[in-house]
Amino acid sequence: MVDQTHKQHGDSSSLHHFEEVFMPHLDAAYNLARWLLRHEQNAEDAVQEAFLRAFKAFPRFRGGEGKPWLMTIVRNVCYTTIKKLRHQDLLEPFDEVVHQSANSLATSELHQQMANAETLHRALEKLAPEHREIIVLHDLEGLSYKEIATVTAIPIGTVMSRLARARGRLRQEIIALNAKESQP
Amino acid sequence: MNCSELSQKLDPYLDGELDLTASLALEEHLASCPACRQLRDQQQNLITLTEEELPRFQAPFFLKTRIRASLRAEEPRPAMNTWWRFWPATWVYAGAFALVVITLFLFFWLKPSTSLFQEVIADHIRSLQVNHLMDVASTDQHTVKPWFVGKLTYSPTVIDLSNSGYPLIGGRLDVLRHQEVSAIVYQRRKHYINLFIYPSDPTILKDQFYQNEGYHVFIWSRSGMNYAAVSELNEKELREFVSLIQAQTN
Repeated sequence: MVDQTHKQHGDSSSLHHFEEVFMPHLDAAYNLARWLLRHEQNAEDAVQEAFLRAFKAFPRFRGGEGKPWLMTIVRNVCYTTIKKLRHQDLLEPFDEVVHQSANSLATSELHQQMANAETLHRALEKLAPEHREIIVLHDLEGLSYKEIATVTAIPIGTVMSRLARARGRLRQEIIALNAKESQP
Repeated sequence: MNCSELSQKLDPYLDGELDLTASLALEEHLASCPACRQLRDQQQNLITLTEEELPRFQAPFFLKTRIRASLRAEEPRPAMNTWWRFWPATWVYAGAFALVVITLFLFFWLKPSTSLFQEVIADHIRSLQVNHLMDVASTDQHTVKPWFVGKLTYSPTVIDLSNSGYPLIGGRLDVLRHQEVSAIVYQRRKHYINLFIYPSDPTILKDQFYQNEGYHVFIWSRSGMNYAAVSELNEKELREFVSLIQAQTN
């Protein structure tokens, strides 16, 4: 009975501890899920599922930064959802566009073209999930290369090159969208 | 560092992820290469734009509540442990309850039984001393029985045992266990027998015999009524009397 009492205390405080560590990252988790799934309801469900999984796995959490640990789980849940949705044909087919090199554009011209936040938004949505997520994780959520390597389970060198490639793709999408708009 | 190397290391450089040595080499190249400076500016602009212009979605306010609820609902351990937390208190309450039950049992069953005998004897003695043996003096059971009507909430069975040598001589009201009870009086030679009859709720009596200072008491319960027969008559005859009463009340 003494053991049970201790266990009880451990559990209730572990739920408390869990929420203390991970609730502050709720927005980050939702942001990643929302960008990956591009759907509000699906993102909410994925985040809830991720929190439940995280709590079940909490005994294996070795402390330290909670954010990458949680983002790893959110990401896994999202990819499971994406697979499921693809299966159901509910997700728009991803069309990866390869356009002309961004380097051919002048800085001022690019900046002018990029000034539209909505275009930027749409451009990011068009990227492949692995490119989208790396930009979200780094530029929006401020995760370091090392943390991203943990979350995505890829070597840090790959993080480096993938992020550069993702930005290149983003630039191409922006240009393509602007070109489409400028057409009569 | 050449232009190709720079393009590979530009992103980590702008993200502050490039080590110091490589950063210095990169900056050295930038200083001497206008094309790479332009590339750097383009990339910096893009990064600034994504950081500043892209929306960072915020979780809807209800999501936190939903998650907290699901954490508590889906995890079975906290619920089970809540049980365990209350176990010690439950045991304390159970223990206290058992103690009260045992005390009540002792108070209303064992101890009262002992004092019931004494009370029965005391009633019997008093009934003889104050010459108040009978409120209704009659050898007719059809006179004695109706006499109790309106005086008690129950109607005692009045049996005439004249043929067996225990003539009915009357009845009265008495007090036993803090309640008014019917006392039926019988005679055996010069001895009187008080037969107390009252409802057995709440206490059912076991068949018991008690004797003290020449008085004999039999108590028993039949058909929802408690009986106590008391007399200074010898045990054998009183027992016979009790058997006769029991035979007619079963």
